[in-house]
Amino acid sequence: MLPADCSRRLVAELRDALDACAERQRQLERSLRVSRRLLRTWEPAETPAPQPTPASETSGEAPSPESTPSPQDLKELELLTQALEKAVRVRKGISKTGERHKALSLKSGSAATSATTASAPSRASGQASCRVSETKPPRGIQQTVVPARGLPECRLLSVGDRTRMGRGSRATKPGPGPRDQQIPPSAALQAPEAFTLKEKGADVDCWLPQPLWKPCSGLEGGSPQSAASLSTGFPDRILLRLPMAYRKAASRNSRLWAQLSSTQTSDSVDAAATAKTQFLQKMQMTSGGPGSGLSAAAVEAEVGLLRTACSLLRRRMEEVLSADPADCMQEYRCLLTLEGLQAITEQCLHRLQELRAAVVGQQLGPWPVGRRPGASLPCGGGTDPIWSPQLLLYSSTQELQTLEALRLRVAMLDQQIHLEKVLMAELLPLVGTQRPHWLALCRAVHSLLCEGGERFLTVLRDEPAD
Amino acid sequence: MPAHWTEETALKGRGHRSLGRRWRRVSARSVIGRGPSRDGTGAVIGRWDPAAAARNPRKVSASCMGRRRRRVDRGAAVGALPEAIAALSRTLPAGPSPEIFRRAKFDRPEAAPALWQLLFRVLSPLSANGASAPAAQEAQVRVVKSELHSQGYPRRALAQLPEDGSQGSRELLLALAWLLARGPLLERLLAQTRVRLGDEIPLCECEALARPGPPVPRVEADGPVDIRHLQWLMGKLRFQWRKLITSQQEQCALLGKIHSYTRGCHSDRSLGHLSVAETELLRDAEGGQQLLRSLESENVRLEAALHWRRQELVFWLWMDTVLGTCPPEASQPTFVPRIPERGAGEWELVARELQALREELRGAAEPRRAAWEARVGGWGPEWSAVQRASREAVGLELAALQRAWERGGAAAQPHGPCRLVKSDAGASGGPGLRAAQVIEVLRSREACLEAVLCQLQRQCRQELARLVGALPGLIWILPPGR
Repeated sequence: MLPADCSRRLVAELRDALDACAERQRQLERSLRVSRRLLRTWEPAETPAPQPTPASETSGEAPSPESTPSPQDLKELELLTQALEKAVRVRKGISKTGERHKALSLKSGSAATSATTASAPSRASGQASCRVSETKPPRGIQQTVVPARGLPECRLLSVGDRTRMGRGSRATKPGPGPRDQQIPPSAALQAPEAFTLKEKGADVDCWLPQPLWKPCSGLEGGSPQSAASLSTGFPDRILLRLPMAYRKAASRNSRLWAQLSSTQTSDSVDAAATAKTQFLQKMQMTSGGPGSGLSAAAVEAEVGLLRTACSLLRRRMEEVLSADPADCMQEYRCLLTLEGLQAITEQCLHRLQELRAAVVGQQLGPWPVGRRPGASLPCGGGTDPIWSPQLLLYSSTQELQTLEALRLRVAMLDQQIHLEKVLMAELLPLVGTQRPHWLALCRAVHSLLCEGGERFLTVLRDEPAD
Repeated sequence: MPAHWTEETALKGRGHRSLGRRWRRVSARSVIGRGPSRDGTGAVIGRWDPAAAARNPRKVSASCMGRRRRRVDRGAAVGALPEAIAALSRTLPAGPSPEIFRRAKFDRPEAAPALWQLLFRVLSPLSANGASAPAAQEAQVRVVKSELHSQGYPRRALAQLPEDGSQGSRELLLALAWLLARGPLLERLLAQTRVRLGDEIPLCECEALARPGPPVPRVEADGPVDIRHLQWLMGKLRFQWRKLITSQQEQCALLGKIHSYTRGCHSDRSLGHLSVAETELLRDAEGGQQLLRSLESENVRLEAALHWRRQELVFWLWMDTVLGTCPPEASQPTFVPRIPERGAGEWELVARELQALREELRGAAEPRRAAWEARVGGWGPEWSAVQRASREAVGLELAALQRAWERGGAAAQPHGPCRLVKSDAGASGGPGLRAAQVIEVLRSREACLEAVLCQLQRQCRQELARLVGALPGLIWILPPGR
């Protein structure tokens, strides 16, 4: 058994570590739930959708009988959507979702062109769209939900001729399935959940209340137009646009953050800064007492800095010690570096003593609770508030997984090192003194400290043979 | 009439004016009728009369203040103060009205509860704000006091305020101004509660550390525990990490899918696809409305912060007068020195490390110096110039090293959360970090940390070998190494 105070400290440290881990797990579970729920509508593993009538638009899940389409397919599907959209508009003269909502990048415009021109000449609607799409100004890659009212006249493209798609099931999806009202006999619109073409014609700016949408991933930026032929599958995904209100709010938000974080100096700002310093000084003077200028939080921050300093110094020392000096010059420099490091270490120790004296002598009171000591922060540790986040670009899921795994591993190692130091400080002295069950204690301490608690050594009593 | 009195009248008038039609009738009554209005803005304000104010205390609701954007005559500096304070309170969580501020200057007791609550919201950790139920008044008071004390608040009068939160509004006002003056408090608060629109990944752990989770009610282990309990806790920790890593891998896979599916849907071309929050916004109407609402309220707060920044000078001038109305403090400190174990332990660890490092450096440097002196003894003057150059170079290096931790080294490392964006591998030259770079940095850091851990374990092994080796009659069979 360990002594009481030692036990308390160690158990507290380990429980801290467990709590931190549990907190991460909780947050992760939350995100996982959300992501899983979102993906369920894209990839339900079960039966195909029931007929999506207009009545059922507002309810029910939008199933997708097959799994992830390839990006290629999705791009082509999206192009097809555009073609059909345009056709509907042309037919019905619906101007509301006209050009101001339609935006195509130049690439996709050309893709649409080449795609539609390469397709069978029977695709009159496709060609109509292709002409129009050429003239569309590139305005980003937003697509809108296509109003579906005018569908009966739309020449629907056939699905069966292209076999490029790897998804056999989709290619052979029977046309009439979901498209109850609007399928002309000549062609079958493949999309089972092809609310693509039957969405409300009215406001496209508003929310889509029903979960039947499926966003489409298209427009792989640089991918060559080798697949410049419309694929078989029809979009069971459409492109959606974020609501206008949200977009406005988001852009305003980022603009305001940029303004707030820009540190412009102007007269008023400078004057305010001087006024603030004066106020602080006045406050210090009127507070009746010299004041040390050191608060408990500041002391803690400095101790943290010194911890970082120690690890940096040690790393530097190991670099120097492991380097083989090639000539006199380098040897001399190594020597100087080591001596310099020694001097800095002395300074740090001195500073630490000062801090200790400040805490004790000036009665700074208890350390703030709730802050986790431990991990040495490579960055300043919360010096600056965090403005709008910058972007981190990743190219594949594996890369993202590697990144996250490494990040967690670094955090875990940080924690392990901290625990190792704490355990060393507490347990090694115990081994030094004789206690009951000393052998068992040694064995346990060895496993905890030297093997991370994973392996145990064996102790044999070497009895002299009688 | 002293300048600050006109400011108070303006504050008072601001309260009435901004309340709109409902209060205009009342404000007519508030004219004491001693003379024309002083501030030239044409507001219905009379001379401020403490007796009259005490007779009809008027409650000003903070919500009305928040929604009004009545323009005060900008030319009049006096009118700028209530506007500045209104902007400040719009930015703060649970910000009280300018009327409360005015009353606090005169240490009115009715202003105290609102200010206690404000300081509590500002000072308490983020997680406490939304998660737990609003704490009792005494608990709030205690938290505010301890937090201010730990940050080094110089005035002792605060610590002596009663715990029922009924007094001390002027002291609280000074405390708030002190917090505002010391650092970017508003920006920090806003950043803490920032609406996260993208899928973010923190690159460094400073946010995770600065924001501790909700305090877990923990039964402290009294009394001695067996070391097997510690082993069990370590094993549990290891298992939790493994679970965490696998969950994280799953989350990455799901994120990757969502990002590819929503490619092309975002209006911002540099992003190119939706994040989880945005996707959910599209999928779920009410949730989306909520996101939109929080986004808009954050915009309101940001605008108020910018407004405040433009006009805060007036506030600081006024705070000088507030400080002037306080009686000077002359009392002796009456604190009991108390160093709790946790903090002392941290200090001990660092001290021990530094001492060990110093010993190692000494052990490495002294022999080298001796050897060097022996070699160099008879070398000529040209060598001394070279020596000087080397000294300078090494001095510069070490100075840079020192700066690395003194200034925090924040510039060197990628800092803060990053929004994940899936883009093609060929995309280069755009803004933002590349995952490959970050992976490299993390790998090197991992290698570093592993080396440190191995070294610590080696040290332990040696130490233990030394401690137990003295005993004869035992054979220690080490476990098979990795």
